[in-house]
Amino acid sequence: MRVLTEELRQRICAEFPKYPTRRAVTLPALHIVHDALRAVSTEAIEDIAELLELHPSDVHDTMTFYNFFRDERHPLGRDRVWVCRSISCMLRGGEELLEELSGKYGVLPGQTTADGRMTLEFAECLGACEGAPCLLVNDECHRDMDLSSATRLIDGLVSG
Amino acid sequence: MPVVIVDGQEIEIGADERLNCIEAARRAGKEIPHYCWHPGLSVVASCRMCLIETGQRDAATGKISMVPKLVPGCQTPVKDGTVIVTESPLVKESRARVEEALLIDHPIDCPLCDKAGECILQDYHFEHGQAERRADLHAFTSRKRDVGPTVTLFVDRCIMCTRCVRFTREISGTSELMVTSRGAKEEIDVFPGHPLDNKLSGNVVDLCPVGALGDKDFLYQQRVWFLKRESNVCGGCSAGCSISTEHNQDAVYRLKPRENPHVNKWWICDDGRYGWHHLHDSSRILEASRRLAAPADRDRGSLTPAVETIEWADVVTKLRDDLKAAGRLAVAVSPMLTVEEAWMLCAVARSIDPEAWLAPGFVPVTGSDESFPGGFTIRAEKCPNRRGVEEVLALYGAGGRSWNDLVAHVAAGHADAAWITGGYPGPWIDTATAESFAGLRQLAVQDLFDSPLMRLASWRLPASGFAERAGTWVNVAHRAQSFGQAIRPPAGVWPEGRLFWNMLGRRGLYDPVSVRQQIAGSSAALAALAGEMPATGVDLRIHQLA
Amino acid sequence: MPQYEPVLLARIHRPDSATIDSYRADGGYQRLGDILRMAPADVTNVVKDSALRGRGGAGFPCGLKWTFLPKDHPGPIYLCINADESEPGTFNNRILMEDDPHQVIEGIILSAFATRASTAYIYLRYEYPQSWHRLQAAIDEAYAAGYLGRNIRGTAFSLDIYLHRGAAAYICGEETGLIESLEGKRAWPRIKPPFPAIEGLFHKPTVVNTIETMACVAQIARRGVEWFKSIGVPADPANPRDPGSYGPKLYCLSGHVEKPGCYEAPLGITARELIDHFGGGVWKGRKAKAVIPGGISMGLMTQSELDTPLDFAGPGRVGCLGLGTAAVVVIDDQTSIVDFLHNSCRFFAHESCGQCTPCREGTSWSLRMLERIKAGKGRLRDLDLLLEIGNTMGMMPGSTICGLADGAAWPIKNAIKKFRGEFEDYIKRTNPSGWMVTDPVPALQIVGAH
Repeated sequence: MRVLTEELRQRICAEFPKYPTRRAVTLPALHIVHDALRAVSTEAIEDIAELLELHPSDVHDTMTFYNFFRDERHPLGRDRVWVCRSISCMLRGGEELLEELSGKYGVLPGQTTADGRMTLEFAECLGACEGAPCLLVNDECHRDMDLSSATRLIDGLVSG
Repeated sequence: MPVVIVDGQEIEIGADERLNCIEAARRAGKEIPHYCWHPGLSVVASCRMCLIETGQRDAATGKISMVPKLVPGCQTPVKDGTVIVTESPLVKESRARVEEALLIDHPIDCPLCDKAGECILQDYHFEHGQAERRADLHAFTSRKRDVGPTVTLFVDRCIMCTRCVRFTREISGTSELMVTSRGAKEEIDVFPGHPLDNKLSGNVVDLCPVGALGDKDFLYQQRVWFLKRESNVCGGCSAGCSISTEHNQDAVYRLKPRENPHVNKWWICDDGRYGWHHLHDSSRILEASRRLAAPADRDRGSLTPAVETIEWADVVTKLRDDLKAAGRLAVAVSPMLTVEEAWMLCAVARSIDPEAWLAPGFVPVTGSDESFPGGFTIRAEKCPNRRGVEEVLALYGAGGRSWNDLVAHVAAGHADAAWITGGYPGPWIDTATAESFAGLRQLAVQDLFDSPLMRLASWRLPASGFAERAGTWVNVAHRAQSFGQAIRPPAGVWPEGRLFWNMLGRRGLYDPVSVRQQIAGSSAALAALAGEMPATGVDLRIHQLA
Repeated sequence: MPQYEPVLLARIHRPDSATIDSYRADGGYQRLGDILRMAPADVTNVVKDSALRGRGGAGFPCGLKWTFLPKDHPGPIYLCINADESEPGTFNNRILMEDDPHQVIEGIILSAFATRASTAYIYLRYEYPQSWHRLQAAIDEAYAAGYLGRNIRGTAFSLDIYLHRGAAAYICGEETGLIESLEGKRAWPRIKPPFPAIEGLFHKPTVVNTIETMACVAQIARRGVEWFKSIGVPADPANPRDPGSYGPKLYCLSGHVEKPGCYEAPLGITARELIDHFGGGVWKGRKAKAVIPGGISMGLMTQSELDTPLDFAGPGRVGCLGLGTAAVVVIDDQTSIVDFLHNSCRFFAHESCGQCTPCREGTSWSLRMLERIKAGKGRLRDLDLLLEIGNTMGMMPGSTICGLADGAAWPIKNAIKKFRGEFEDYIKRTNPSGWMVTDPVPALQIVGAH
C-alpha cells in the first residue's frame, strides 16, 4: 500500500543527487514524511524503503535510534513544544517549567493533548542556554521562559 | 615466522596469517572470552568482553612497551612481536565489570531458559563474574515474541551483541533483523510483516551467545546436558555441510552446523537443520518382507498379495538366492548410500551375477542452486553422495550411467531382476516410472518409505536414514567426509552397510573404516580416502593432481 | 585582564549580519580568489603553522588532521562539518551559524580547498531551525555569487555544500557517529582504525571539523598566522608534545550568572574572569559552588579552582576531562550537587548510543542509582559503586569505542570526589535508617508468563 503522496515522493527523490548512496537519504526522507504526516507509519517506512532500495527494517532501525520520529500510534500534535531540561535550563527552572506545563495541559512529556493540538516533549539541551529556561515551539526558540510566558505562548498556539 | 607472545608464551604464526588477538591466544591455549565477535561476521568490538592488555616487543632491543589501556582482542590484529596479556588483574577486573553490566537487566531465568547449559553468559559468569549482585534493581521482565516461523525472541535475555542482525545483513543478505531504539532501551526486532523467514534463519539461534533466540523446533524438547553429539554430514543436498547430530536414546533432537572452512564455514540451511524429522516418522518401513508372488506372475485381480516377513539373517541368503535364480540383475546404487556401502553393494551384485548391470540410483533435483551473499550455497541436487557413487561405479566399469539409463535398461527387457536402493526422505518416483519395473521376475526395493515402486517390489527392505549410517560421502566439490553413526535405526532395521557386509560373507561387525581403506588401496581415484580422515574431510581431486 | 576586541563575533550585532552583502562589505570573501590559486598543501600548511586546535571538544590540531588524508587520492574526499552541537551548555556554533553564516561558509570553502574535498556536508542538529534557515539562505547566496558550485572564482576548484539535518541524538556529535548517521544508519560510532581520514564517509577519506573551527580558518586566512598565534597561551617549551592553546575562543556562559551569553576571549581566560568580567558575577549576589568548565561531560571545578585558565590544558590540571566545548556553566551555592549529578546521569543515560556494554549499562545503572538516592533511599555504599562505574567506563580506560562514556564518567567522578561530604550528608539526612545498609535490595519477580 502506498501512503506517500507523489509530492512527498518527489521531494525525497530530489535529495538523491546530494549523496552517493540512496541510503544516506534516510534521515532527509524521514524528516520530509514526518513533517508532512506528523508520524512515520509502518506503511510510510515501507514506501521510503522502496524508494531508497533498502529493507524496511533498515529504515526502521535508523528511525527508532533517534527517539525523535513518531510512529502512527503516537503521532505528533499540530504543534510540537520542546522544553529543555538540560543543565543550564535545569539550573534556572527548566525542570519545574516542564512539570508545570505538564500539569497544566494534562499531558506527560511525550504525550499529545486530547484535542491533538499540542505535543509536549522534553529536550536534551536546545542550545539556547543563554536564555534559560527555553522552549522550542515548532521552528521557533523562546528564551527566558517562565510558567506565565510559556502558558501565554502555548495558549496562543492552541487558540490560533 | 612472526612470533606472538601470549601470557609469556611464544607462539609462531604464519607469515601471511591475519589473526586477531583472540585467534592468536587460542593457538596458545588461552581462551579470551567474547560475545559479539564471530569469525564469520564483521567486527564491531561492542561487547567489550574481550578486553586485554597488549604491547609490542622491540625486535632489536627485546624491550616490551605496553599500550596504556585495555584494547578489544577482536579488533586488534597481531604481528611479529605482539604481546598479549590475558590474565592480568586489570583484565580480570574488566571482565567482571562487563559480566556485572550484562546481568543488570538480564532476567536470570536460567531454570526456564532453554540455553542453560550451553549459555556463554552463564559460563562466563561462573568463570569471570562475581558472586554478589550489587545492582539495586527490583523487578525484571521476561518477554518473548515471535520473529519468524522458526525462531522465538526472548527479548530481555538479549545482551545486544548484534550477531544475529549482522548475520541477516552480511550472510543471508535478507536484513530481516534490526535493532530498535537506543541505549539501554535497545531491542532486537523484525519489521512488521517481514518475519525472519530466510532459508538460513536457524543460524541466528546458533550465533546467539545467550538464550535470547530460541529454535522453536527444539524449544523445551530436551535439556542440552542430556544430549550426545556425533559428527555427521548433512544429507539434505550435495553441498555436504558438516553437522553435529545431537541426540539422546536413539532420538535426534537437533542438528547443528559443525565448522568446516572448506564446506559450510559455520552455517547450515534450515532445510538441512530441520531435515531429520523423517527419521522418526511412524510410516517408515521397519520390516524386511518378501512377496510370495513375483511381480511378473502376480494376480492383478487379488487385493493383497501374500507377504512373509523375513528375518535379517535369512535376508542375507534368501535375497541372494532369489535374485540369482531370477537371472540378469540390474542394480541402482542410491546416492544416499555411503561410498563404502556403494562399493560393497556393487561387490554383492557382481557376486550374485558377474554381469550385473550397475547404475546410479535416482538423483533428486529441486529448482536450482541458491547462493547467499555470505558465500553459502544450497544445492539443487538433493542427495549427498552422487560423486562418491559415480566414483565407485567407475571402479566397476559402470561409469557414465544414470538412473534414466537404468530405467530404460529394465524397460527394454535387458534385466530379469533389479535391486533398487533408496533411502530417500520423501516421495521420489511416480507410478509411470515404477511401471517400467513391473515385468521383472524379482524386484528388491530398499527404502525408508512406501512408494509406487515399493508397492511393486517382491522384496521390501527397510533402509536407514542419514544419522543411522556410518561411512563417507563425497560432496559436489569432490570433498570426501567420513562420519560415524549417531543413532541406531529403529529396532529390526539393519543399516545397508551391515546387510552388504554380511552378504559379502565378512565376519564380525560391519566396519566402514576397513572397507574405506580397502577402497583407497584399490583405486587411484579414491586413494585420498586412505588413513585417518580429517574432521573437515579431504579433497579427492587435489590428491589426484598431486 | 587585557583588552580584547572580538573577531569571530565581531559582526554578529550588525543589522543584516547574516547577508552576503553585509559580509562582503566587512571584507569577507575578499581573498578567496587568491587563496584558491595557491597549492592546497600550502593552505594546509598555513593552518598547521597557526597551531589551530579543533574547537569541537577534543582539541586535536586541525592542520595535522588534514595531513592524515592520503596523498594523491583519486577522490572524492569529503568534508563533514559537525554542527551537531549537543553538549549541554554549548551554543557558540549556533551564534556563528545564525548571525554570521558567511564567515562559516568561507571557512568551509577554504578548508575544502585545502583538503581537496569536492563536497561538504554540514550535519546540523535538528534543534536549530533558525540556523537551518539562515545557513540555507547563506549557502544559496554563496552559490548565486559564485563562491560555491563549479569553478569557484574562475579557478579549477569546485565545491558543493549540503545541509543535512540530524534528529536529536547527542552521539551524532562524535565524528564517526556523525558519519554513520549521515550514511543513513543508526549513529553507532565506528571502531578505529581506520580513522575517517583514511576511510570515512561513504568509505572515502573524510575530515570532520566543527563550525567554530571553520570560522577560525576563515580568520586565519584573512589575518594571518602571526595574528592567530599572538592570542592565547603559547606551547609549554618544557613539553614538546604540547601544541599550545592559540587563538580566540568562544566561551558560552550560562547557569547561575547575571549575564549569560556567548563571549569571545583569548584562550586561557580563567573561569573567574569570565564569570566576573563578562557574566556580571554569580546571580543574586550568591557564590559559585561549582563550575562546569566546558560542557557537562568535562566534570566540575570547585569554587577554589576558578582561577584555572580555560585553555586546552588547564581544566585537566584540576581533574576535569578537558576544555571540551568551553561551555562554562555556573552552579550557585544553593543548588544541590545531587541534583546536578542526577541531571548529568539522566542526560547520558538518554544519549548513550547503546553499542558498548559498559556505557549502555553503566549510564543506565548510574541514573537509576541517582534516582534512588534523590528519592531518599541512598546508601553510602552507592557512592563507591558510582565511583567504580565512573572509573571503569570510557575510552580512556579502554572499555568503550567512543568518548561518550568518559563524558558520562567525569561528572560522576568529579562530583563525588570533590563533593563527597555533601552526598554523604544528603544520604544520611534523607535515609536516616538505611544509609549504612550495604546489602542490595533485590526483590526479584517474574513478570509475564512463558
